[in-house]
Amino acid sequence: MELKSKRRPPAAPLSAMSDIGFLLLIFIMLLSLINYRKEVRIEYPEAKRVEITDADHELEIWIDREGLVTVEGLPLDGEGLEGTIAGAIAEHPDLRVQILADRGTPYRHIDGVIRILQTLQHRAVGFVVKEDL
Amino acid sequence: MKIKKFFTHRADDPMGALNDLSFLLIIYFLVIAGFNTNRGFLLNLPSREKPRIVQKDDLLRLSLSREGELLFEGEGLSEEALDTLLAQNLAAHPNMTVFLSLDPDVPYQRFVDTVHVIRERRVENFSFSPSGG
Repeated sequence: MELKSKRRPPAAPLSAMSDIGFLLLIFIMLLSLINYRKEVRIEYPEAKRVEITDADHELEIWIDREGLVTVEGLPLDGEGLEGTIAGAIAEHPDLRVQILADRGTPYRHIDGVIRILQTLQHRAVGFVVKEDL
Repeated sequence: MKIKKFFTHRADDPMGALNDLSFLLIIYFLVIAGFNTNRGFLLNLPSREKPRIVQKDDLLRLSLSREGELLFEGEGLSEEALDTLLAQNLAAHPNMTVFLSLDPDVPYQRFVDTVHVIRERRVENFSFSPSGG
């Protein structure tokens, strides 16, 4: 006896799509949580041409208009900053230090950080600026 | 002409709206994740312990005043004029070293502006320090 198979009309499995969607959502949410950084309210300096200064391991040093130096949300004095940088370099020798300073910050405060980096013989430093469009 | 529908969208299907919402959230988090990229410029800090000996003719001294005015031999210099000066000096002295002396109170933005012009001219030997430091 010949069996007749019933042909169903083609249909897209929408439930699988939503599963993928939610998995992607959770993945990207976790990723953005890992990338989360404690920002300091600064007005970025601007330059016409910029390059990406990101590295695998980096330490962001924020300097606000009044010269307050902050790392990962913690305000630091010179000694504290030196210890933090030295510890970070010991953990990741390929560490890149990024300086994020307000455009109106007097240069003396940036120089204070640069002097500490020079003392620690850390040469390559990223100066973060905003692209002037 | 009657067009045959493959996919029928039922009005009481709650998954459709949920899918839309999850994809909008994915796009939102993707965009947010992209905001964390640091852009700017990389500088090799001048070494404090190993001063370089530079021939007098190869040295170009610039200074930034407290008000942010760029000075060369005591005279004010615009960014365009600096660019021309660098081009002329690079042609005459390929091993030119630019030394920028900064007033400790000069706003950081002026440092960024000056470094930008110097970098655009691809000056390889560049050093900077605060005046009197």
